[in-house]
Amino acid sequence: MSVLAVSNLAKRYHRGGKPFAAVDDVSFEIGPAETLALAGPSGSGKSTIARLVLRLIEPDAGRIDFEDSDFLALSGAALRARRARIQMVFQDPLAAFNPRATVARVLDDPLRIHGIASRAERPRRIAALLERVGLDAGLAAHAIHEISGGQRQRVAIARAIATRPSLIVLDEAVSALDVSVRGQILELLLDLQRRERIAYLFISHDLGVIRAVAHRVIILDAGRIAESGDARAVVTNPQSAIGKALVAATPKLIRNRP
Amino acid sequence: MTALLSIRDLSVRYRRDGVEATALKGVSLDVEAGERLAIIGESGSGKSTLALAIAGLLAGDAKTGGRIEWFLPASHPRLGRDIGFVFQDPSSSLDPVMPVGKQIAEVARTHLELTWPEAYAKAKTLLERVRLPDPDSALRAYPHQLSGGQKQRVAIAAAIAAAPKLLIADEATSALDTIVQAEIVALIRRLVAEDGMTLLFISHDIALAATLADRIAVLRHGELVELGETGQILDAPRHAYTRALLDAHLGLDAKPLLDRQGTPA
Repeated sequence: MSVLAVSNLAKRYHRGGKPFAAVDDVSFEIGPAETLALAGPSGSGKSTIARLVLRLIEPDAGRIDFEDSDFLALSGAALRARRARIQMVFQDPLAAFNPRATVARVLDDPLRIHGIASRAERPRRIAALLERVGLDAGLAAHAIHEISGGQRQRVAIARAIATRPSLIVLDEAVSALDVSVRGQILELLLDLQRRERIAYLFISHDLGVIRAVAHRVIILDAGRIAESGDARAVVTNPQSAIGKALVAATPKLIRNRP
Repeated sequence: MTALLSIRDLSVRYRRDGVEATALKGVSLDVEAGERLAIIGESGSGKSTLALAIAGLLAGDAKTGGRIEWFLPASHPRLGRDIGFVFQDPSSSLDPVMPVGKQIAEVARTHLELTWPEAYAKAKTLLERVRLPDPDSALRAYPHQLSGGQKQRVAIAAAIAAAPKLLIADEATSALDTIVQAEIVALIRRLVAEDGMTLLFISHDIALAATLADRIAVLRHGELVELGETGQILDAPRHAYTRALLDAHLGLDAKPLLDRQGTPA
């Protein structure tokens, strides 16, 4: 059983009048509580796949099954209802939110839009969500621009889990964070996955982060899958040319007396 | 080693949203001529403020204390001639409506007192030195016609056009993917060695800084917490914060956060 199954996905764009394949014949599955990472250089198709899976854009070919139903066939109320189960967290939470909105407002929206909690119930639910992601409930009254980058990414995660999703697409979600904050956010994501069996499609350019948190990894090159497999095995011993190039280019911290 | 510049008790304060914020507090360090010095730190550490202060690029309303003393023939170093500066985002440092050859030639013409034809010949040589494919057509290209890595190569060519003594790279590879980042770091290493430049490499990434730097300075909350040879910083950090930065690095050999039973550890 899979949460998400993508088959023969394709998306073409035009660049300088010439068509090029941003995503070309990509197939993969993600199981419950599993993290599948997408890695690859700029332009390899990582973020296009994320946008296709979220149905922010439509594919030219292929099939997406989400929770065992044809996700591309859904529209209207059925699509809106199913969308509650697939959420996203992006790299820059400041760009994802209205900076003047309060934290409470950001978390109230999904609860209201998806009819998850009544108006009277929502403040309590918001406090519980904040607590769930390790934030003080008192933060609810603060504006998004007043809180730190790490706190904003926790709010983004709280918003993502508000609708009880089975899948969260994380697109470079920890790439802009300071390393001291990054570890805490990764631990939070793993804890949520363990407790609530959430699957992650984890997009990152950083093989060190992928190796630390992902079960499996797909390495993309020019829109196609170059190789895939167990995250630790692929990073330790890449088989494809692009996999080898990515590992070789990753800065190594060589400490003689760690 | 002789010092290229000496920073003593440098403090910088900005006004932000009507509130005065301290970006640097009493920073003292010497930059040795010909060395590759990395300045690392997290957001708010003051690393970019330090780079801007050295380059004379601080905003007009910044309040500074302390001094920066240069050991150069010219009493006041000039940006472009004595200091080359490479920013994080080449799209914002390059003029979008001017061919890149002209942008590089302009630096050479201004600071080396060359004629336009001489400056263009220099620009072509520089595009070859930064290994841009097909330098003749690249001279006439506009920034939007180049990839992110190619634009950064152009920005580096412009930064070194007047043969500066000091090259400052401020998160110059942070917006690039891993493979292009490694190529740009290799390019910077080669150019610095060929021209005998001094390098200030500003980065949030201690592992990346360590691949390039002779010495590493660690900044936190505007203060210099540690400065040492790269080997000493990695193997025997003296400050707990440096150790914390090293321990937070997720390298290809770090202990995974996830256990292999398929559930998070």
